[in-house]
Amino acid sequence: MKNNIKIERARYNMTQSDLAEKIGVSRQSINAIEKGKYVPSTLLAIKIARLFQMPVEDLFMIEEND
Amino acid sequence: MKTNYLISNKYKIPGWILLIVGLITGAFLITSEFESDLLEVNVLAIFNGDSLFSDNEGFFKIIENSIVDEIIALCIIIGGLMVGFSKEKVEDEFIYKLRKDSLVWAIIFNYIVLIIMIVFIYEFTFFNVLVYNMFTPLLVFIIRFNFLKFKS
Repeated sequence: MKNNIKIERARYNMTQSDLAEKIGVSRQSINAIEKGKYVPSTLLAIKIARLFQMPVEDLFMIEEND
Repeated sequence: MKTNYLISNKYKIPGWILLIVGLITGAFLITSEFESDLLEVNVLAIFNGDSLFSDNEGFFKIIENSIVDEIIALCIIIGGLMVGFSKEKVEDEFIYKLRKDSLVWAIIFNYIVLIIMIVFIYEFTFFNVLVYNMFTPLLVFIIRFNFLKFKS
């Protein structure tokens, strides 16, 4: 699964730690999600999307081999 | 996130202290070949089958034993459990997944090593393998978990 978190983060001028703190998760989680190493739960995905005020589908994109 | 079986983060540091003290004193005990007469006290043995050194054989016997090795083993195990199963400062689903993955990895790794030891280590030397194997699953898990956490 691909995601636009890094881009959105840059748009809002946030570091990984800022985002992690706002969502209430660890910095490692944000890093792993951005790198595509970890697929977040629905709950976490919605929380991040809500913070960036966009639909989840615009933030997370399914890939062909998913 | 709901995280089952984990204890509070405040046990992390006491856990590390217990674990490290246990490991260091344990290393000393190994270099002294387990021959310690320190803290020799009367203990209750649920079963004592050591007829070689005493004639006090049978169930529920009071025997004399140096409890240094017991204390060290408990330090390592309790300290290890506290370190491995206390929450991180920020405990979330990803950290929980790392912990689970590390546990699976540690158990598989431990038993692969044990299989090799069973095949290639014999007689009384194998007793050492059994001693180490009391602690290795927990230690491998803690090392693997912290390594993964550090890497990500």
